[in-house]
Amino acid sequence: MDSTLPAVAEELLKEIKKAFKETSHGTDTFSFRLKFIFGPCAVPALDLVDQRSVTRVTSPSGRTAYQVLGSSGKLYTCYSSCHFCTCPAFGFTVLQKSESLLCKHILAVYLSQAMGACQELTVSEEQLTNILLADEEDEG
Amino acid sequence: LCRGGLAERLCRLQNRERSAISFWRHQCISDAKIPSDKSGVLIVKILEMFEECTIQVAICQQLEQSPATLSSKDAVINAGEPILKVLFARETAAHLKSRPQDVIHIYPPWQKLILRNADVPVIMNTYFSLKVLPSEHSETREKTYGLTKMLIRKNIISLAETFRLDDVDDELHHQTSDHQVTCAPQIHNNCDSKKHPLAQSAVNDSLLEMVESQGAVGWREAQVRVVIQRVYCLPTREGYGSRVQGNKPLLSNRGMFCRLCLLVQDAYGMFSEVQLQPLNSADDVEQYCRRWEGKFCCLAGMKILQRTTRGRALGLFSLIDSLWPPVVPVKVPGQSQDSEMMTTNLAPPSFCYILTVQSGEIHVEVDEEEQISNLYQPPAVHGLKEILRMDGCNERCSFWAQVLYLRLQTKQSVPINQREICLFVTDSTLQNMVHMIPKVVAVSVAASCVLSTEITEALSVTSQFVFFKDALWGKGMIICVERTVLLLQKPLLYSAAGADLSELTGPVRLDELDSTTQANSICAVRGTVVGVNESTAFSWPTCDRCGNGKLELCPQDRGSLYCSQCSEVVISPVLKMQLEVFLSCSSRPQSTIKVKVWHEMSFGLFVLINMLLSLQSYEVQSVLGKEVGLLNCYVRSVTSHPNCIALEEIVLL
Repeated sequence: MDSTLPAVAEELLKEIKKAFKETSHGTDTFSFRLKFIFGPCAVPALDLVDQRSVTRVTSPSGRTAYQVLGSSGKLYTCYSSCHFCTCPAFGFTVLQKSESLLCKHILAVYLSQAMGACQELTVSEEQLTNILLADEEDEG
Repeated sequence: LCRGGLAERLCRLQNRERSAISFWRHQCISDAKIPSDKSGVLIVKILEMFEECTIQVAICQQLEQSPATLSSKDAVINAGEPILKVLFARETAAHLKSRPQDVIHIYPPWQKLILRNADVPVIMNTYFSLKVLPSEHSETREKTYGLTKMLIRKNIISLAETFRLDDVDDELHHQTSDHQVTCAPQIHNNCDSKKHPLAQSAVNDSLLEMVESQGAVGWREAQVRVVIQRVYCLPTREGYGSRVQGNKPLLSNRGMFCRLCLLVQDAYGMFSEVQLQPLNSADDVEQYCRRWEGKFCCLAGMKILQRTTRGRALGLFSLIDSLWPPVVPVKVPGQSQDSEMMTTNLAPPSFCYILTVQSGEIHVEVDEEEQISNLYQPPAVHGLKEILRMDGCNERCSFWAQVLYLRLQTKQSVPINQREICLFVTDSTLQNMVHMIPKVVAVSVAASCVLSTEITEALSVTSQFVFFKDALWGKGMIICVERTVLLLQKPLLYSAAGADLSELTGPVRLDELDSTTQANSICAVRGTVVGVNESTAFSWPTCDRCGNGKLELCPQDRGSLYCSQCSEVVISPVLKMQLEVFLSCSSRPQSTIKVKVWHEMSFGLFVLINMLLSLQSYEVQSVLGKEVGLLNCYVRSVTSHPNCIALEEIVLL
């Protein structure tokens, strides 16, 4: 059977994006849904959005990655082509235990996109490669 | 968590919800019956279950009525009944312990989500759910359930299933994201407002609502309509400009970097300080005051800089207090628009949001063409006599006065443009009084009060009438601080409660020196010379261009003088002579009165006076016993032991 949760999550995020484009005062509805679907990540992810912690890093070829400044001050990298984050919570909760679809950083990336709160950074190809490779080395 | 941010908001809502859920469950258990409120209850029968992450997904059939009345045989899948996907949170699922064929009652508030490409609606936020067992087989079923452990299939979601937030329609839309580019913000004129996209969005009239519904991620489109009560400049920390201009080094560099600010009020009476773009100098403030004060303005895309309270921002709140209570009734939040609160009993505000604009476009549209709002309170102008009689501390006051003399604070450690300036002012209410009230009052201008170059230049040249808007009165002193604006012209609108704003007729008179004279004031002195302090008598040449008193000998030509500030030889220096004279005054007979007297002479007499001074043959004898006419003096110090007053002769503007 096809998975349900990703479709629900995607629809929710699309709604949030739509709500942010128009003037809307009923923002509590999506808050409740966010909490229901994403559980304990929701509040920390919103906090990261409030603090404008998400940066979309682009290179001239069009490759993108996301960098999120975590609450501890550490910078985590999230991929744009699949759900992946370099934070330990992702490795544990998502990969190992499959208890969550995302970690708070990936959710913050989506929310920042939906709300237009992403910072933008353009770097060279080499720099972007380094960002991605550096994380690989850490993992290894 | 960020104050006012989305996360904080969700936390609050969550806490409320959590207590609601546990209360509801507790009620169900203690009542031992199904809650009777049937409206909005969703009744479903579980067909199939599986797990995704920690959410339990149940494919269900929606039932018309509770099958408690039906026998188990009748509970057959009816092809016509709608299928739903019901999601249960981990905690709810653990509480329900449901299995296929179970019937669940889902109480509101539950939420329904329709996915774009799927037929099956999704039900979520199902916290308030109850399992309902068919009455007949309840006991046997329970036992069976208790024994067999149910295994639920878990779907592992692939990491490749990312979410796409863009729709086909979205691709045409430029995705908004904050750029790091800083553009010079422009304030839109009224003529653009019709074409501007902002004009199409809904306009709100509550600042608090705008602040609370947006959090720290500033919204671009929501607009608030407010009244501009005051326009002023606040000094910024980025830099204090230090330009030394021409012949007047004293006042020249007050050109601090400053930021244009508005104090606005909404229809509910709430205030907010809006910080706009930085200005190079305060020169345009007078214009903005004239064009904008009292008008309506639409704010959009504001970012909350700070929420400040009375205790932390005394200056701001003294200004707010001067505008309280509102002159027209204000709306009360939560009540219908017809009932408006009487303003007399409203307590003054205790907090205020400081807003600033997002980098990039400014969304402050002032409707200059429209009429002045009824809510606007123009500055209340009083005569100085009234102000001196006011009770209270930290009261804002406005007045129109003539500046007679100006003195710069002499602390050498403070740069010139940050020094306090003392202005000695008077108006007709003081001049026309006979006694008990001083004729001239000192107004201290702190470094935080931003002055335009127009004012500083005008003040150093000649006596000016200046409008002091929102100065502070307290502890017997008038001071100009942040948010005080000095203008050369009276504003278009002001309320003059019986104040006499006519120009002064006749020459200005100063108080004569007497027993009540205090330090840091100006007065007129007359008396007889009883002594000359020869040790302090000296003269020195000054540059005729810039007034520099520290001339040097020219390196090339030892006979000439050189001014390092002008970087030129001084051809005709101005000689300044200083002499301290002791006077005996009949108005203050007990005190020794020491007057520092200055005399400026041109080069022509320089040689002659020099000779006379060195000979010391004439001045003491010829000066003793001489009557000195009314000298205008600045009182430097007054001491009681010894009883001495030190004065300095001054020239009024």
